[in-house]
Amino acid sequence: MPVALNMRLTGNEEQEVTLTGTLRPFVAEEMASVRSSLEQAARSARGTLCVNLKRLKYMNNVAFLELNRFVRWVAHARPDLRIKFVLSSVIPWAIRKFQVIAELYPAVTIEVYDKALYPTQPVLEDDEFINVLRMQEKLIWNHEQDILVQHGLRPGLRVADICCGLGCFDIFIQRDFRPEYLVGVDHSRPLLRYARQVVSDYGLENIEYQYGDAAALLLADNSFDFVACRLSLQIFHQPEKILHELVRICRPGGRIYITNEMLSCMVGYPNEEVIQQGYKSFLQVSRQGGVDLDMGPKGRFLLQGAGLEDIKISQINVSNTNSDPNDLARVVELWIRVAWQFGAAAGADPSLHADVEKGLRAHMETILSDRGYAVWPIIAASGRKPFRTS
Amino acid sequence: MAARFTVGGFAREWGHCHLLANYLARYVSANEGDPERHATLLSTFINELLEVIYRNHAPEGQIDLIFRKRGRHVVLQLTLPVTEQNRVFYRMAVQIVNQPDLKSWYRARLEEPAEGEDTMLGLLELAAVYTCTLTISEPPGQDRLSLFLELPEVDEMGEV
Repeated sequence: MPVALNMRLTGNEEQEVTLTGTLRPFVAEEMASVRSSLEQAARSARGTLCVNLKRLKYMNNVAFLELNRFVRWVAHARPDLRIKFVLSSVIPWAIRKFQVIAELYPAVTIEVYDKALYPTQPVLEDDEFINVLRMQEKLIWNHEQDILVQHGLRPGLRVADICCGLGCFDIFIQRDFRPEYLVGVDHSRPLLRYARQVVSDYGLENIEYQYGDAAALLLADNSFDFVACRLSLQIFHQPEKILHELVRICRPGGRIYITNEMLSCMVGYPNEEVIQQGYKSFLQVSRQGGVDLDMGPKGRFLLQGAGLEDIKISQINVSNTNSDPNDLARVVELWIRVAWQFGAAAGADPSLHADVEKGLRAHMETILSDRGYAVWPIIAASGRKPFRTS
Repeated sequence: MAARFTVGGFAREWGHCHLLANYLARYVSANEGDPERHATLLSTFINELLEVIYRNHAPEGQIDLIFRKRGRHVVLQLTLPVTEQNRVFYRMAVQIVNQPDLKSWYRARLEEPAEGEDTMLGLLELAAVYTCTLTISEPPGQDRLSLFLELPEVDEMGEV
């Protein structure tokens, strides 16, 4: 019964007991240490006791019935205490199972934690967004494929693409780098459906897509040679949680590769002042929504902070002279809508959006102008996981 | 897909249940859109069924497990040697599963668990919570019976 149990009772109003791994005991007596820890926590807890099961992959009914008995015990011994089961939508059996307990006991609630972790997700998965995202992926790939070699990607590796979105990157990787195994993980069902459809339509093999939570991956420790996370850390308000997972699943000696944007350095001439003001407002709006679209230059700092070595940095410059300007302009046009949705979700001042629209429309004009020059900079960074960690 | 093993080999180690459930689930899920998610869910169902037979079988004989696909459903047929006592257990399980208000029955048992009912609850949960259907087939004159567990429809995302 390889279960890991952690107890954290430091909070004032919310204390937490975490169970991870597999909980399939033969008899209830094998749950004695778990029951004992839960009861100890419940005796000293105040307010709400969180029982965190978001990374408990397997649990049998013997264990479930013991948790049910624990809840019944709390109802009698600590009627003032609330119990919150913290679950993840990634674990497919969990929500239904614990809903029954939540319906039975008034003091019990369930929280699907990853819904709170992905607040911007609905903004990023409608049809229009998907169309432009495909275009964006193609624009970037034309410049990224060469730098990937510098960052250690080569044929025959085990590759994980975390936050894979539409999976376009995986299809390019499969075509040009022939990995031994390739898995793409994302938390968006519509984007994954699209990715699977493409793989199915073109009869592609050796690409596996997985619904997953980047901050609590179900992939094994030390199991990939190359772990990519592109244009995604920047949209999470807790990027270090995801980075921790990227490092965990990467084998020692393997590389973690991240890309992030640098909107404060968007280039456009003429109308450079209006354009810069537009992106400044865009950054302000997105930050209010917990999104940092200027994370690019922080890549080196982030990777070093995660304990990686041999950090490499490259800059991808998508411009109106090295790419199709019409495609680039459409991508920028979509950002206007994305900014508005981020702003609305975060309760940002609507006047900011006027600045965003004005600046980004000016950028589009520059992109489409025969005499203008515009660049969208993206910073790629990678680091090697050391063989020994201190 | 089919698997055959002896009662002796299966019942010697408790861990066989867990390992077998995970292995079979992953194998059956290989061609699904999200194999990992599908296998995690399927393993939960298979494991619970295997645990039930681990605790309720005759001392000797063979266990046959057959997986069939019916649209988006997986149907498990599990044939095992039984004693008269085992036979009564499985008949009772099927009878309870097919009662009109199974969910209320299940909730009542969670509120007031009865002694010695845990194994039965494991099997019944599959029907009460996950809407699996359970039927039984008893060929006359044999000391074996077959359980048929039809799992809920699972979409390409591994969602029930």
